[in-house]
Amino acid sequence: MLSVFANPARFMQLSGWAAPLFAVLALVLFAVGVPWALIYSPADYQQGETVRIMYVHVPAAWWSLAIYGFMGVASFVGVVWRHALADVAARAAAPIGATFAGLCLITGSLWGAPTWGTWWEWDGRLTSMLVLFIIYLGYIALWNAVEDEEKAARLAAILCLVGLINLPIVHFSVVWWSTLHQPASVFRPGGSAIDPAMMGPLFAMAFAYMALFGALLLTNMRAAINRRRVEAARMRGANAA
Amino acid sequence: MITGGWHFVVAAYAVTLGGLAVLAVTVALRARGWAKRARELDAKRSAEQ
Repeated sequence: MLSVFANPARFMQLSGWAAPLFAVLALVLFAVGVPWALIYSPADYQQGETVRIMYVHVPAAWWSLAIYGFMGVASFVGVVWRHALADVAARAAAPIGATFAGLCLITGSLWGAPTWGTWWEWDGRLTSMLVLFIIYLGYIALWNAVEDEEKAARLAAILCLVGLINLPIVHFSVVWWSTLHQPASVFRPGGSAIDPAMMGPLFAMAFAYMALFGALLLTNMRAAINRRRVEAARMRGANAA
Repeated sequence: MITGGWHFVVAAYAVTLGGLAVLAVTVALRARGWAKRARELDAKRSAEQ
């Protein structure tokens, strides 16, 4: 399956229709998910209306973790098999993951203020999520700091693979330590603890984030491939002159 | 039960949707710029041949 996308020309052909398709899907899902979350879903018996922040906060948290996992797999493939598009995919995903992680932290803070009485607490979940955001920024900075793209790709891949250690820390932080943040309430042994009326908008928004990630990832990868082509031609022109 | 709180909800949605919109526009504009330069390169190459 991956070998189908190994050829940049074939990838450009496939992503040419897949990226707009994901973009339309994301728009439709947000158009359904946002009113569902804000108007049609019920208030919580304890948190009141503030529970609606869950529908933007939780998908941002899920996808910021999943995107980092995706970058880890792409980095591994890039280092081991030198797949033509693996480094491009990892680099293209980073700003999207960083944005999702940043939004998760901001919306979490906006949720924490009315429910916990504090904007921020240095507990396990919040701190490990902040570390994930900083790793994303470090990864992007490393790519931009090293001029030689081959070297930058190797160094960034190593950083990404080392940073993978933070994913289980984020996930299990609420189990390992006594935290202010609640434990897992959707994907947990014994089934979800969330009211079924809230699951619809939560998953509509989660799929909206996923579709948006698909559209932006493919668009970013297309930009990177075009940039490489243009810069390679410029270099050849400079060498010939 | 926490009463009110709508201003926190509105702020969270404004930040999220605004942030995602800025990200999407930035990615789209950057991609459009490089696609334009790649097309110009292809046109230049085909003119040279």
